[in-house]
Amino acid sequence: MRYRSQAVAYWYFAVAMLLFGLQLVFGLLSAAKYLGPDPLLYVLPFDVTKMIHTNLLVVWVLTGFMGATYWMVPDESRTELYSVRLAYIQLALWVVMGVTAVIGYLFRFGTGNKLLEQPLPHKLVIVVVMLMFLWNILMTIRKSGRFTATEGVLLLGLASAAVLYLPSLLDFDNYTVSIFYRWWTIHLWVEGVWEMIQGGFLAYLLIRLSGADREVMEKWLYVIVGLVFIAGILGTAHHYYWVGVPYYWLPIGGLFSALEPVALVGMAMYAYGALRRSGMSHPNTLALHWTLGSAVFTLFGAGLLGLAHTWPSVNKWTHGTLITAMHGHAAFYGAYAMVVMAMISYALPSFTPGRREQGSAMGYWAFWLQLAGMFGMTLSFATAGIAQVYLERIMGLGYLDSQLKIQVHFLMLIATASLFTVGVALFIWDFFRFAPRLRVIAEDEATSASAAAARVGAQRRPA
Amino acid sequence: MDKRQARFFAIGATAVSALVFGALTLDSHRQFDRLTNAQNLTPQVVAGKDVWHKYNCINCHTLFGEGAYYAPDLTKITQHRGEAYLTAYMRDPSQFYDEQRHRRLMPRQNLSEQEIKDLIVFLDWVSKVDNQGWPPRPILVTGATIPGTDMSAAQRSQTEPPEQALPPGARPVAPAQDNPIALGQALFRSVQPACNACHSVAPGVNMAGPTLAGLATRAAQTVADPGYKGGARDVEGYIRESIVQPSAHLVPGAMYSANGQSFMPTTYGSLQPQQIDQLVAYLATLK
Repeated sequence: MRYRSQAVAYWYFAVAMLLFGLQLVFGLLSAAKYLGPDPLLYVLPFDVTKMIHTNLLVVWVLTGFMGATYWMVPDESRTELYSVRLAYIQLALWVVMGVTAVIGYLFRFGTGNKLLEQPLPHKLVIVVVMLMFLWNILMTIRKSGRFTATEGVLLLGLASAAVLYLPSLLDFDNYTVSIFYRWWTIHLWVEGVWEMIQGGFLAYLLIRLSGADREVMEKWLYVIVGLVFIAGILGTAHHYYWVGVPYYWLPIGGLFSALEPVALVGMAMYAYGALRRSGMSHPNTLALHWTLGSAVFTLFGAGLLGLAHTWPSVNKWTHGTLITAMHGHAAFYGAYAMVVMAMISYALPSFTPGRREQGSAMGYWAFWLQLAGMFGMTLSFATAGIAQVYLERIMGLGYLDSQLKIQVHFLMLIATASLFTVGVALFIWDFFRFAPRLRVIAEDEATSASAAAARVGAQRRPA
Repeated sequence: MDKRQARFFAIGATAVSALVFGALTLDSHRQFDRLTNAQNLTPQVVAGKDVWHKYNCINCHTLFGEGAYYAPDLTKITQHRGEAYLTAYMRDPSQFYDEQRHRRLMPRQNLSEQEIKDLIVFLDWVSKVDNQGWPPRPILVTGATIPGTDMSAAQRSQTEPPEQALPPGARPVAPAQDNPIALGQALFRSVQPACNACHSVAPGVNMAGPTLAGLATRAAQTVADPGYKGGARDVEGYIRESIVQPSAHLVPGAMYSANGQSFMPTTYGSLQPQQIDQLVAYLATLK
C-alpha cells in the first residue's frame, strides 16, 4: 500500500466478501427448491430467496467495484483520497441500505419489478451513495492533477452506471413500456458500462502485473470500449424480443448481439497478448490467474453462451427458460465476480503483510474449485434448459411435467453449486484469516521487495 | 492507429450507437399504443399490474417470457383458462395441484376478491399485446399437447395402483378437495375412454376430435346461432349435451362425423351425474 487512504478499500472488500457468502446461501436454498417439495413454502418461498440471491449479487459486486476504485485511483493519480471520512460514511450508508433492503425482502417489501425490487427510499439512498462516491473520486483526481486514460474509462463507466440507474425510478402504467425502460438500467449496466468498468480494472491489473506498455494498453482499452458500445447499446434489442415492441428490434437484436462477442474476444486477446509480450513478471501470480480467468470466462459465459440464444429464431423457443439462467450465471461470474476477486487478490498482500505475495495454496484451491463449480453449474443449467426447450416448448409437454423430467439436472446443479460454494468459502476464509495491518509501505522498501520477488519469479521460470 | 485515434473511435462509436438507439426509442413510442392496445389500459388493468408487482409474481413466473423460471409462463394464460378457473385457482392453488406429486406448489397468496379480478383483467390485457406471435406453440401448465407423451406406456402399466398410472397432471389431488373445476379437470384425463385421448386443450391442435381450446366462447356463439338445432339454451347446457348426446350438434369436418352421426363415443351418459357436472364445470372454463 503506497497511500494510507487506500486502506478504505479493505473494508469495502470485507463487506463484499460477507455479502458474497450470503448470496450463495440464498442461491443454494433456491436450487434446493427446484428439487422440492419445499418445507419452507410459507416461510421463505422461492420468489423471496431468488430475489435476495440476485439483489445480493448486484450489491456485493458494486461494493467490490467501489472498493477496487478506491484502491486503484490513489495508485493511478499518485495521491491520497480526497476524503477518507466521506468514503466510510458512504460505506456505512450503503451497508444500512443493503441490510434493510434484504430484511424488507424477507417480508416481501419490494417493488416486484425484476432486479429493481429496491423500494423507493432505498433507490434514493443508492443514488445518494453513488453521488458521494463519484464526488470523492473526482475531487481526488482534481487534487492530484494526474488523470490516466485507464482511470478515465473506469470513471466514465461508474458515472454512466449512476445515470442509467435513474430510469428505474420511473413508473409506467403500460407494462410493455416499463419493460422497455427496465432494460436501460439492467442491460446497459451489465452489457455496457459495467464492461467498461471491468475493462478499466483489467487494464490497470495488466499494466501492473505484466508491466505491459501503458500507451499500448490504453490504446486497446479505447478500442475495446468502442466495440463494447457498438454491440452493447443496440444489443439491448435482444431484451425487446416478444414483449410488445415494434418488429424491427428482432433483426437489430440478432445482428448486434452477434457482434457482442467481438469485444469480448478482443478483451481476452488483449489480456493474453499483454502477458506474452511482457518483460517483467510480477510475483502475484494468483491475481494474474483471476485477471486472465476473468477475461477468458467472460468470453465463454457472456460471449459464447449469450450468442447461443440471442438469434431471434432460436430465442423464439428458448425465451424464458433455464437457458437464460445458464447464460446469466456464467456471464455475471466471469465478468464481474472474477474481476472483483482479481482486484482483491492483487491488493490483499498489501493489506495483510503476513501473506505470501504469490498467493497462498488456499487461494489457488479457491480459484480452481470456483472455476470447476461454476463450469459445472453452467452445464447443469444448459442441459436442464435444452431438455426444457425440447419437452415444453417444442413437444408441448406441460410445464410442471417437463420440470419433473429434468430433476436429474437439478441434482447435478446442487452438486456443482456445492463445489463452487466450497471454493468461495475458501476465498472468504483466505481473505479474513490474516489480520489487516493497514500501514503505508515506504517507496524503497516496496520496490526492493517487488524486485526481489521478481528475481524469485525469474529463477522459477525454466530458462 | 494511435491512442488519440482509438479514443476518437470509442467516443464516435458510442455516440453513433446511442443516437440510433435514441431514434429507434422515439419510433417505438410512436407504436407502443397500437401494439399494446393502450385504449384498453383501464384503471382496473393498472390496478391488476400493481397486484402483479405487489405479490412479487415475477420472481417465480414469467410474463412475456421475462421473470424467473420456477413457474409457468403466464403471457397467454387467460386464453387457456377462463375467469372462473383462475379465480378458483388464485383462492387456493393447493386445490388444483399436489406438492407431493409435482414437487412444486404455488403458495396461497391470500389475494382479496377484488385483487383477483384486477389481476385477471391485467393478464387478459397482456395476452392481447401484439408480441410477434410468441410463444410459437402454446405453453401448457400440465398435461401434454399430444396426450400420452407425458408418460411412456411402460411407465403407465408398471405404476401401481391404477390411479397412480396417470400422468401427474391427471391424478386426482387431495381427497378432501371439493372444487368441481379441479375435479372436472382430473376427470377429463381419467374417465374411460379419457377425453384427452381425442381432444387437446391447446389451441389449434385437432386430433381425433377437435381442440377444446376456446370451447366456452365457441359454445356461446353456437347456441346463439339460428342454425343450431340442439336443445341447449346456454354454454353449460351445450357442453352437457355434447358429452351425453354427441350427435346433437356436429362440428363440421369429415374426420369428426358421418351421416349425421358423431364419431365420439355415446357412453358418457353413464357417468355419475356429479361427474358430468364436474366435467361441464371444467370445460366451461376453456375460453
